[in-house]
Amino acid sequence: EEELAVVGSWSSLPLYQDFTTPFWTEMLPEMTDGDFTAQLTSFDQMGIAGSDVYRMLGDGVFDVGQTVADYTVGDAPELEGLDVPLVATTADQAKAMVDAARPMVVDIMHDRFNAEVLGIAPYPPQVVFCKGEVSSLADLEGKKVRGSGRMTTKLLEALGAEGINIAFSEVPGSLQRGVIDCAVTGAGSGYSAGWWEVSDHLLTLPLGGWDPVVIAMNKDRYDGLSGEMQDKLKAAVAEGLEAKAWAAAEGGLENDIACLTGEGECTSGDAASMTLVEATEEDVTTAREALESEVLPEWAERAGTDWAKRWNDTVGATVGVTVPVSD
Amino acid sequence: MIWTVAFSLLGLMALSIPVGIVLFILGIGVGEIYSAFPLLRGLGQVVWSSSSSSTLIAIPLFVLLGEVLVRGGVAARTYAALDKWLSWLPGGLIHANVATATMFSATSGSSVATAATVATVAMPQADKLGYDPKLFSGAIAAGGTLGILIPPSINLIVYGFLTETSIPQLFSAGLLPGLLMALAFVVVTALICKARPSLGGPSRSFSWGDRARSLVQLVPIILLFTVVIGSIYAGWATPTESAAIGVVIAALIALTLGTGLGLGTIAEALHGTIRISAMIMLVITGAYFLNFAMTSAGLGRQLTELLENTGLPPIGTLLLVVVLYLVLGFFIETLSLMVATIPIIVPIIAGLGYDKVWFGVLMIVLIEMALITPPVGLNLFVVQSTRGKGSMNEVILGVIPYVLVMLCMVALLIAVPGLALWLPSIL
Amino acid sequence: MSRIETLEGALRRANRLVALVLGAALVATAIFVLIDVIGRKTGWGSLGGSDEISGYVMAAVASWGLACALLDRAHVRIDLIRQKLNETGQAVMDIFAMIVTNGVVLLIAYQCWPVLQKTIERGSRANTPLETPLWIPQGIWFAGWAWFALSATLLSLIGIAYLARGERAKLNTSIGLGSELDQ
Ligand code: NA
Ligand code: NA
Repeated sequence: EEELAVVGSWSSLPLYQDFTTPFWTEMLPEMTDGDFTAQLTSFDQMGIAGSDVYRMLGDGVFDVGQTVADYTVGDAPELEGLDVPLVATTADQAKAMVDAARPMVVDIMHDRFNAEVLGIAPYPPQVVFCKGEVSSLADLEGKKVRGSGRMTTKLLEALGAEGINIAFSEVPGSLQRGVIDCAVTGAGSGYSAGWWEVSDHLLTLPLGGWDPVVIAMNKDRYDGLSGEMQDKLKAAVAEGLEAKAWAAAEGGLENDIACLTGEGECTSGDAASMTLVEATEEDVTTAREALESEVLPEWAERAGTDWAKRWNDTVGATVGVTVPVSD
Repeated sequence: MIWTVAFSLLGLMALSIPVGIVLFILGIGVGEIYSAFPLLRGLGQVVWSSSSSSTLIAIPLFVLLGEVLVRGGVAARTYAALDKWLSWLPGGLIHANVATATMFSATSGSSVATAATVATVAMPQADKLGYDPKLFSGAIAAGGTLGILIPPSINLIVYGFLTETSIPQLFSAGLLPGLLMALAFVVVTALICKARPSLGGPSRSFSWGDRARSLVQLVPIILLFTVVIGSIYAGWATPTESAAIGVVIAALIALTLGTGLGLGTIAEALHGTIRISAMIMLVITGAYFLNFAMTSAGLGRQLTELLENTGLPPIGTLLLVVVLYLVLGFFIETLSLMVATIPIIVPIIAGLGYDKVWFGVLMIVLIEMALITPPVGLNLFVVQSTRGKGSMNEVILGVIPYVLVMLCMVALLIAVPGLALWLPSIL
Repeated sequence: MSRIETLEGALRRANRLVALVLGAALVATAIFVLIDVIGRKTGWGSLGGSDEISGYVMAAVASWGLACALLDRAHVRIDLIRQKLNETGQAVMDIFAMIVTNGVVLLIAYQCWPVLQKTIERGSRANTPLETPLWIPQGIWFAGWAWFALSATLLSLIGIAYLARGERAKLNTSIGLGSELDQ
């Protein structure tokens, strides 16, 4: 019997409470006939930065780590390619994007963090909460927007908005008092954090991508398991955690938007009444253009040509975007 | 594990090893003994990530703000003015300690910085007028804790962040309990000194003319409050940024309305700021590492099990949580106490139907208590290190009445939640 | 003046200088943030990155400042038992506390190195629009811990030397229990 020390991501969010916790603490022992048990905590409870999870995982400080891949791109810029904003608007598209990127992610986690990928689960898509009239993407120009993740902030800047880097905790107050005009986060998180109290317009274009969480295991620990045990563990994660999180992402956005706007049925509580701003054809074109002409080429420089090419062949081919590569 | 750690902490500190170092030793010990994992390898990363924080920079900035006000003569004048208004009460100057702490709380987000500011101006007066050091220094340590209840407050920001609670609501919720507690400190001080006049100093009376003239000395601090809080509520700055604005404005005030700032004074202020901030930061990083080690070794599970398997009614669980904070508060530094427990405790409390804004304020009062309860109480350390003589025990004895006031405040908040929730509901 | 006193004096002056540089960095950060806030409010545009740079300054203060606090005897120690002892007992406790501190600080500094090492190996950059090469702030931070370790080691040796020579008063001003008002 193997006992795993598992570190999850944000303990206050549904991914942890509804999927991560039941999976590691209850389902895993059942699904593996008691071969695996787990002790679960989260990086916020440990008081460590989300960006440090894989660094510590590689050192063997715990067995399994889960964190938002975007948090760790400081150590691995090529990992930004897992979550390119705008290119996936539905859960299906996001799943296709992540699946296409998966072989890359496996190599990156292995080379950079001495880790084996067990699975990749999504957060709900990251949308834009604005205070004040916004009717299209073009209206973001000149606005002060708090982004999440480097590529999102770069995209916002390419669209003429001013990317402001402030802590998540300061967002509601800053929105209310006009320090910022808009902020990007998951629709569900924004709903439960009460961002609708301080903002009134909701842009559902996934400017912030999907913030996929990579579930990874220390490589030495993984290699120490028998082949059969390895397969069991991976199968359990795929079925008990990954598949369920993706299934929830499907209906989740619709419900979250209903809760935020009051249009449609909200199963999470009382609905707010934000104004839903649907992206126009024109908006999408402008944003994609900024993405392809500025944001992705810059990423190709950060990550290196080889990774950009590999991205073009896999993710790019799936979502229909090509990073211009210099040589 | 909780008890073993607590007793080791006491033992090592009794050996007069610096507190921050003790926390690191315990973290390393917990990692080696209670965890199968090489937690020591995470030490560097925890130290880097916990110290490279733009939220924490509010601490040195607020300390610097205090230093500038102290060395620029502003704090002394504020203190003297409040003394003129309050020292007729039994307990004399001690009331000025509380009142000055209350005023500075409204410009500072940190309890430690508030205590440091008041201690620096008040301590020299205590000797001059022959005060018993116990109640005098206790009032400063306790008054300083108001810094995190009266907005702005770094700790309420952290709470709001971790629990997804509205920070402006938390700020407004803290205001009334904060002012009420300040008032209670004054009343309790007066009662004690009425009963035992030897604990206070001479009651002195000033003419109304003196008092009226002294009002102008309060202008700088009110101006500073207006700018720091105003910049937050007017939407110019985040709470952290307002600390930086406060420093610049404080320097301008000291130059124009205070006794001025010479090069030597500036150097002293900077040196003092670094000394105090570094002392605090060693404790905070040590506490972060200990928290990291204890969470890795399963403290969270122990707590959850403790709370969920009691079979108590909601109020019983709530009281158990209060007791838990009292006990943990003896040993753990406040920011890391919050970081360690909020993700575990707030969901349980919210699940029982309690309001998160209200509980935030209740928790801040409990955290304030942790700041002045030995053996780990940052405000005790700050006051003692400013005092520079006598024993720490005197400060510890001196805070006892104020700890009791805080306990009453906890009871009052539980009995009358509206005390915290009324102001946010009308704003 | 003996060589030990010369060494102690030099260490003090060096750390005072460090404190002044850190203080100046703090003031510069405050001014930078103020300009940023004004720029944002007036619409002249934000300089950007004030949040990130604040964090780096904080890390520098929290590492380089530690030795300064040590030399000033500002790190808090509980004197519950110590105050009840005679002079010899106090000197023994001071030396003991100093050596334990020294050992722990050496260990921490040693454990901080891998953080910088990984950053250098991977060429890590901050996950922000500034893309700050992290070896710069982490290098400054690590150097601060190394300086703390060096200062602590020298101070231990100075303390032992004073003890060996029976110079109790000097022992107390170097590693005894300090206070703000001694400064
Ligand atoms: Na305050
Ligand atoms: Na305490």
